[in-house]
Amino acid sequence: MTAAVDDVFAALASPVRRELLRLLLDGERTVNDLAAHFAMARPSVSEHLRVLRETGLVAETRHGRERRYRLEPGPLMGLADWLHPYERFWRRKLADLRTVLDEEDDA
Amino acid sequence: MSLPDVGDPRTVRVDTFLPYPPARVWRALTDPELLARWFLPCDFRLEVGHRFTLATEPRPNVRFAGVSHCEVLEFEVERMLRFGWHDPGEDNGLDSTVTWRLEPEGTGTRLFLEHDGFDPDNPYQAMSRRIMGGPNGWNGVLARLAGALA
Repeated sequence: MTAAVDDVFAALASPVRRELLRLLLDGERTVNDLAAHFAMARPSVSEHLRVLRETGLVAETRHGRERRYRLEPGPLMGLADWLHPYERFWRRKLADLRTVLDEEDDA
Repeated sequence: MSLPDVGDPRTVRVDTFLPYPPARVWRALTDPELLARWFLPCDFRLEVGHRFTLATEPRPNVRFAGVSHCEVLEFEVERMLRFGWHDPGEDNGLDSTVTWRLEPEGTGTRLFLEHDGFDPDNPYQAMSRRIMGGPNGWNGVLARLAGALA
């Protein structure tokens, strides 16, 4: 397994981090907003966010003194690709099939 | 944008609409010359029991021997075609079945692809099940994400 995929799995292994990702599906949120959903102290939530950030699953932006987090779909899409290697293969083939049919039609 | 269906690790399902009648699509699925242009070069022949080979493309997470052995299993002209796809691999070969289904839709065709027979116990599948089962697990997140990106 590649390091990248291992990292994403490791990041997703924590229920807290999965919950954070789920919350971010609804859109960008501030750290305070995210922390309010958990009983743990804010620094602990920040630590989980750091792991997600380092894995590339979330991105952080600063608005003045406020930090906001948003979901980055890339790593999850990449992981899905690893789970189903043929999925992308077939999607590409179907696109090529469409092209060939279009070319035949023009001929 | 849509995400892979991660619900069933044994099967890949993809479908698409083609603005051509089933007869045209059928020809593209069964004519070796046309197959070479969009699928893979192969010595396909529409005949149950016919064996043909595919020169496959390397994919990093499946070990490929480079050549896959296929066999026409079943067909119904302009409606369905099923073939076996055996990839010898090195120590994780693949014994799978590919099924094309064609359904008329308006003046065109809805083409369904089902590629069945993946190992649900390969390390990725096993890990994802262990880590990401349950309502807030992998499937839930991916389904929501797919909705958000659609």
